[in-house]
Amino acid sequence: MARRRRILRYFRYALLAGVAVFLAFALYLDLRVTGEFEGRRFSLPARIYARPIELHAGLRIRQADVEEELRLVGYQQGERETPGWFLSQKNQVELVTRPFTFWDGPQPARRVKVEFDAGSVTSVTDAEGKQVALARLEPLHVGGIYPAGNEDRLLVRLPEVPRHLVQELVAIEDRNFFSHHGFDPRALARAAFRSVTGRTEGGSTITQQLVKNFFLTPERTLKRKFTELVMAVLLEIHYGKEEILETYLNEIYLGQDRDRAIHGVGLAAQFYFGKEVQHLSAAESALLVAMVKGPAVYDPRRHAARALERRNLVLHEAKEQGFLTTEQYSVARSAPLGVVPKPAMGTSPYPGFVQLVVRQLRRDYDEKDLRSEGLRIFTALDPRVQNAAEHALANRLAQYDKDKRFGPPGIEGAVVVADPQSGEVQALVAGRDPRYQGFNRAVDAARPVGSLLKPVVYLTALQEPAKYTLVTPIDDGPFVWKSRGAPDWEPQNYDKKFHGIVPLRTALAQSYNAATARLGTDIGVDKVLDNVRRLGIERPLRPFASTLLGAVELSPLEVAQMYQTMANGGFKTPLRAIREVTTQEGRPLARYALRVEQAIAPEPAYLITAAMQGVVREGTGQALKTMLPPELGIAGKTGTTDEQRDAWFAGFTGDRLAVVWVGYDDNRAAKLSGSASALPVWGDIMAALPSEPLSLAKPDNIENVLIDPQSGLRADGSCPGALELPFASGSAPAGRAPCASELGVTVQEVKQKAKSWLERLFGR
Amino acid sequence: MRRYLLIALLAGCATRQEPAPEAPATPPVPEAPAIRENVAIAGLMQSARDDAAAGRLVQAAATLERALRIEPRNPRLWNELARVRLRQGDNAQAAQLAARSNSFAGGDAQLRAANQAIIEQARTQP
Repeated sequence: MARRRRILRYFRYALLAGVAVFLAFALYLDLRVTGEFEGRRFSLPARIYARPIELHAGLRIRQADVEEELRLVGYQQGERETPGWFLSQKNQVELVTRPFTFWDGPQPARRVKVEFDAGSVTSVTDAEGKQVALARLEPLHVGGIYPAGNEDRLLVRLPEVPRHLVQELVAIEDRNFFSHHGFDPRALARAAFRSVTGRTEGGSTITQQLVKNFFLTPERTLKRKFTELVMAVLLEIHYGKEEILETYLNEIYLGQDRDRAIHGVGLAAQFYFGKEVQHLSAAESALLVAMVKGPAVYDPRRHAARALERRNLVLHEAKEQGFLTTEQYSVARSAPLGVVPKPAMGTSPYPGFVQLVVRQLRRDYDEKDLRSEGLRIFTALDPRVQNAAEHALANRLAQYDKDKRFGPPGIEGAVVVADPQSGEVQALVAGRDPRYQGFNRAVDAARPVGSLLKPVVYLTALQEPAKYTLVTPIDDGPFVWKSRGAPDWEPQNYDKKFHGIVPLRTALAQSYNAATARLGTDIGVDKVLDNVRRLGIERPLRPFASTLLGAVELSPLEVAQMYQTMANGGFKTPLRAIREVTTQEGRPLARYALRVEQAIAPEPAYLITAAMQGVVREGTGQALKTMLPPELGIAGKTGTTDEQRDAWFAGFTGDRLAVVWVGYDDNRAAKLSGSASALPVWGDIMAALPSEPLSLAKPDNIENVLIDPQSGLRADGSCPGALELPFASGSAPAGRAPCASELGVTVQEVKQKAKSWLERLFGR
Repeated sequence: MRRYLLIALLAGCATRQEPAPEAPATPPVPEAPAIRENVAIAGLMQSARDDAAAGRLVQAAATLERALRIEPRNPRLWNELARVRLRQGDNAQAAQLAARSNSFAGGDAQLRAANQAIIEQARTQP
């Protein structure tokens, strides 16, 4: 008897201890649930936007390009004139913009009609037919900076989610959701029964699923199942059904776009239907709900039949539980899947550009904030320019590989395109596979630049107009540079010949090495390198004579900076990829302002540009003449390094600057010159895009003089092939060419004098 | 009339919030007359002036940059941006931007004088 009592007592102690342990465990879980659920904020990736198109009369843009961008942004053609609608007709596009918060504030929806003619916008009008000065379109979302696991989501509030979506979800996943306390014994029993009969079913409530995704690892043990259950009950004690549901709808995993994980119904609505969640139909909602069970298995893009079958099951359950009328059900059931085609984007279709953006942002922001705070980043990326650059590079490189038959790995390349006036980077291609997120050749590959540095040598010479002009004779005879402790340096020309005395502009146009080495060492290597720094190159350069001929390693981005300063009349504008950053709600955080710095006086900048126009008109860049209209007046320079390991072309029109590099990653001899490989890529890019002709603002102290190319002396109308060349005031040759008139003053000169006098009088 | 409509339209595009207050008091540099060639530019210019008048200088600069993307060779826009930078106390940029304006100013003596005034003031103002 006493023994029985003792056993009972032990049993009671054990029970008490068990309860205590359980309570402690529950308390621990409770702390975790409340602590983490409360403090839990979804990590939101920074969203990166391209530049918005700003439509105005006179803008050079093709109708097809506007339509393409509207499509990419998610605008659809159709009947209903609601935000996100557009209608394309002959020479005009009508559209209703979606409301969008820009850096400078929210912009409401607006209906506009845009008319086009010959590749330009001719008018922009509103619904009443009144002229619209400027219509800013919604910018394309071009990627993000993602949290761990590359989770992407667009947060939604419960009231934004259509009622039928919630009903369908509850109907198929957890029909007693609104009445249970976190777990559902009936559903569990049903699941147990079905698993015995061979059909598997979850039996987890929505609350349990949320707990599982939120707090637990995906292992499937009994202990974990028990923990899940307790936590679900605790969650229900602390929070209302609506809070739990809203969190679930934002958390749920609904698909995969390459390396980007699609979470939440907000983003899924965009990803599958190109719509905001509130506009989803019953059938569309049902498809999202169907995918909860397994987004890969029921992926409507890859397994349409399977997805359709499960969608209809969802609709059926919703009807059975009285959420849909028979009529609504039959309408929804007969609807097509309605999924929009969407090119795979992954974390970004433009990883090379995004790398540059992240690099510039890291100076000002914590990596953690970039990946979690949902910052909105407005960039200068121009998708048209980017696509043109990607295609040009990929097509040409494929061609070179075919011609050379070197076998893998294939030849590589990189492109940077910028606006020379604003310094904004419009496109950046990091390699021939533009989707590859690895080594960024445009930013991180430092390669010898070869003759790309020559313009700086000539620029330095032209800064001394008393000694050097575009027609100053310079010597391209054999040249030897002796310096102590180093072997003699004897630069050879590309054609293995020496050309004797040539005009300065010809030495640059033909990229003569001996002449350039002589000129550069005459002026002083230090002076040239000083200019390289002024033009925007920050890395230290070795003060050797061979540097003059490009024994300097730079990235395509650095080269672009150097040429930007020359293309911008001597005003350096630091290259920028980003315009503005705002918080998720649109509060402005930072602007990356336009800054200019006069690095080179306007006169030599003007002269070197004219000399680089000569490269394309009559020098090593002549091949461009067959690709682009001569009126563009392109200025540029080819570059080829020893054994043709690196091929370059850098050049600019009036409103676009591009740098192209081509070569092998392992530094193999490519056997391709700058003009044969990089230049055609450059030409293809420019041919695909509208460009303003290059006409620099002429500085006051520059005069144009007609020159006889034979003698390098003043010419007049009777000299065949005479060229009008710019000179710093007073530096033009005084002598007259033999072909020119014997009279003291030529007719041409009188005309010119009169013209410049008129110019002074009336302005330009 | 049309101009007011334009201003109203553009203002509609942008309800703005302004970061940190700024604008040290400086004697005003004479304003160049507004241009009328391009309605988009005229609208942005007016909007920038309204912002500047209200002391929203960051916004004014942003709007001028927006205009410069459309017309990068418009010397009046560069001049206007120089004036904004001067009011922000960024003298070095003000002088550089005025020089940039001059490079496009051609024979516009009035504008050149305005730019010169900015350059002078940038040099002397604390």
